[in-house]
Amino acid sequence: MEQETPLYADRPEWADVTPLEQHENDQPLAPIQYTVEYKDATDYFRGIVKIGEKSERVLELTKDIIDMNPAHYSVWQYRYETLLALNSDLEAELKLMNDVAIEHLKTYQVWHHRRLLMTRIRKPVPELKFIAASFASDAKNYHTWSYRQWILAHFNEDELWKEELDFIDHMLNADIRNNSAWHHRFFVVFESGIRPGETDRERILKRELIFVKQNISLAPNNPSAWNYLRGILEHESVPFSKVIDFVRPYSLTHDPEATGDLVDLENPPPSKEAALPCPPAVEFMADIHEAQGGSDGVLKATELWKALGSEHDTIRKKYWDHRIREALKTIQT
Amino acid sequence: MVNNTPNDSFPTPTSQLQLETEEVLAKHLPPEDSTVKPCLQRNNHLRFLLRNLTQGFPIRYVAQDASQPWLMYWILQAFSIMQVGMDPNNKRRAIDRMLACQHPGGGFGGGPKHEAHLLPTYAAVCALAIAGSPGENGGWDQIDREKMYEFFMSLKQADGSFTVSRRGEVDVRGIYCLLAVATLLNIITPELVEGTPAFIASCQTYEGGFACASFPFFTSEPGTPSTLLSSPRPALGEAHGGYTFCAVASWLLLQPFNSSQSYPASINTRNLLRWLIQMQGNDIELGGFRGRTNKLVDGCYAWWVGGCFSLLEGLDGGVPEESEPHESVHDEKAEDGDDWVDEDTSSDPWNTDALQEYVLYAGQHPAGGLRDKPPKSADSYHTLYCLAGLSAAQHKITPDTGHRKALEALWQPNPDTSLKLEGAKEKKVLDDDLRREFYTRALSWNEDSRKKRVVVGGNENRLNATHPLFNLTATHTDGIMSYFYGQPAPPSRARPDTK
Repeated sequence: MEQETPLYADRPEWADVTPLEQHENDQPLAPIQYTVEYKDATDYFRGIVKIGEKSERVLELTKDIIDMNPAHYSVWQYRYETLLALNSDLEAELKLMNDVAIEHLKTYQVWHHRRLLMTRIRKPVPELKFIAASFASDAKNYHTWSYRQWILAHFNEDELWKEELDFIDHMLNADIRNNSAWHHRFFVVFESGIRPGETDRERILKRELIFVKQNISLAPNNPSAWNYLRGILEHESVPFSKVIDFVRPYSLTHDPEATGDLVDLENPPPSKEAALPCPPAVEFMADIHEAQGGSDGVLKATELWKALGSEHDTIRKKYWDHRIREALKTIQT
Repeated sequence: MVNNTPNDSFPTPTSQLQLETEEVLAKHLPPEDSTVKPCLQRNNHLRFLLRNLTQGFPIRYVAQDASQPWLMYWILQAFSIMQVGMDPNNKRRAIDRMLACQHPGGGFGGGPKHEAHLLPTYAAVCALAIAGSPGENGGWDQIDREKMYEFFMSLKQADGSFTVSRRGEVDVRGIYCLLAVATLLNIITPELVEGTPAFIASCQTYEGGFACASFPFFTSEPGTPSTLLSSPRPALGEAHGGYTFCAVASWLLLQPFNSSQSYPASINTRNLLRWLIQMQGNDIELGGFRGRTNKLVDGCYAWWVGGCFSLLEGLDGGVPEESEPHESVHDEKAEDGDDWVDEDTSSDPWNTDALQEYVLYAGQHPAGGLRDKPPKSADSYHTLYCLAGLSAAQHKITPDTGHRKALEALWQPNPDTSLKLEGAKEKKVLDDDLRREFYTRALSWNEDSRKKRVVVGGNENRLNATHPLFNLTATHTDGIMSYFYGQPAPPSRARPDTK
């Protein structure tokens, strides 16, 4: 389809620009074997930069190169400066770049360009919708998530924040193991300031504990959820022992006596299909015992670390040994 | 019998992809017969890299057109780790190629006539550290340090961070690249790094690893200058292996400056260690490293995560028993190259054997070069970072107090090597004590000969050690730093890394 477009070198309307080769010598070490089209367009780009032209045709040229190589930051930079110089319609630019963003999700420049545009357009609500849609093709895209967080923090409007928890629920319902969504929840609830209606932090902590416990009960071997549990307790300076009744059943084999009839919202039990004991729970119990201190606590913790190293989590045996050594130091006098 | 990761009968896209990957990796598990030793296919990898160097890169590398210094650095550093030097003609061509990327306004670009950018600046300076030397055509004296400093300062933000280029994004990759280059070239000043330690610290997430950046909130009282708030200061993005390496290495590079401050910034080392440990895959994943929680293992994290364990040794209060001087070269039994051991005496907290197995069994492409994971093809990026990770798993490199004392004893105050900058002296010039501290700390890293690690597959697989902060060999780091700090050649290390 691209073959229809003639090379810049063959287009009369570009005849006034002198193309500039990249290399001054013919045989550079470690060259890239460019296509004719790419070499042609970048030769003209270098020619344009040299004369400093900022015009509509520069927008066409830079878009062409971006389609071939979206990581060419110098081209993006020049394009952005051209847009400003021409006083272009930046919302049209944002729209034009939607397809580029979806096609090249993993490219830094694609998202950074949007950020530059957004600081001027200042209409974050539709942008959140665009981001949400882009997760359909890659639900863990790092740039997209950090860009979403930037939008929220930069514009910092209550209207933006208010639907984030629903959005996170939606993402975690699609994949309870999506760590990006878990991190986003931590960002929204604990790290980016306190918004109206969230000043009762005890209530918020309680809500989050129930949320994470329910998620752990659905799929206990999910490190994202355990890390979230650890994270919120540490953030709120709540000792791990506060959730010992919840964690203990996950650190043991299945309890044949357990009846599934009683529903305890505070302490949802592991599902019957769960693979138990689950290593993050065993680790968690060991941390509780270690924090309790004294030789009794350290010995209980040591038993669990030994079990992790020899049975449940053998790849990390040396780490569990390290934990044992460090803990023993605290009781040797 | 090696088990799959349990999905608790609750499949999701993450667990499905994990299972598919484990099915592929299971075909690469070490053989049951333990007498079969894995072999590093050195010659295949050298041929692969040499092909890239001389014939060039196929068209799919067009995405790296703005990363040309990286392509060079990946090849040259992979050669160095495999103990291969370059002939003078190719060195000269490599130097020319890098200098063609230097921007007239300071720093290096991703190619000739590209805008300057922190990432290719690091790659170009490292490539020059490997291939270059002082003198007319050596490449080192042609680096414009004054202009580079101006370029660096032009990127500085109010929260202590830096953008990667003019109008570029802020992230810790760029900051690492800036700090590594500024340390190598002796252009660190107080004004350059002011506020940077606190920025790095603010990127640590609740998981323990680091994110790409953080968001600054400022006071907004009308009529008063806005000041940066210490809270909220949220991390943007989740904990990630690549950013964690860059953040922790930056943190160490900044240590002389940070510890001289009245209110030094701090990070949570305990959570950091836990997170790094959790990134190691299980047996079914051959002990490779992943870059984020619930993502797949990838050979490049052998370095980005595996390389962090050396860095931990350099953190203040890291590992107390390391504080004694290392044994000197004369006490070492094995200089004949027969010094690998069957038993690990290193007391490391991570599984160095398993990481070596991942690289050797899953990371090597049969046709040469190394890769993310089977059945992917090899590329020069993964070739370097798989090899660097393999090297980091073979060698225990720690700060060596004895070596540092030897460097201090040789230190010569040499103000002529400082940048000539106008403006307030206390902001623009690092005093001699601090400069010595940057120099001796950076060069004090050394192989700990008391702590032996198993070289999986035997000594034929042993690679050169690589510097945990810069990913250059000790020889290349010593060479370029002693030159730019105006110091005599550093004393030899207990175990020279280049034969």
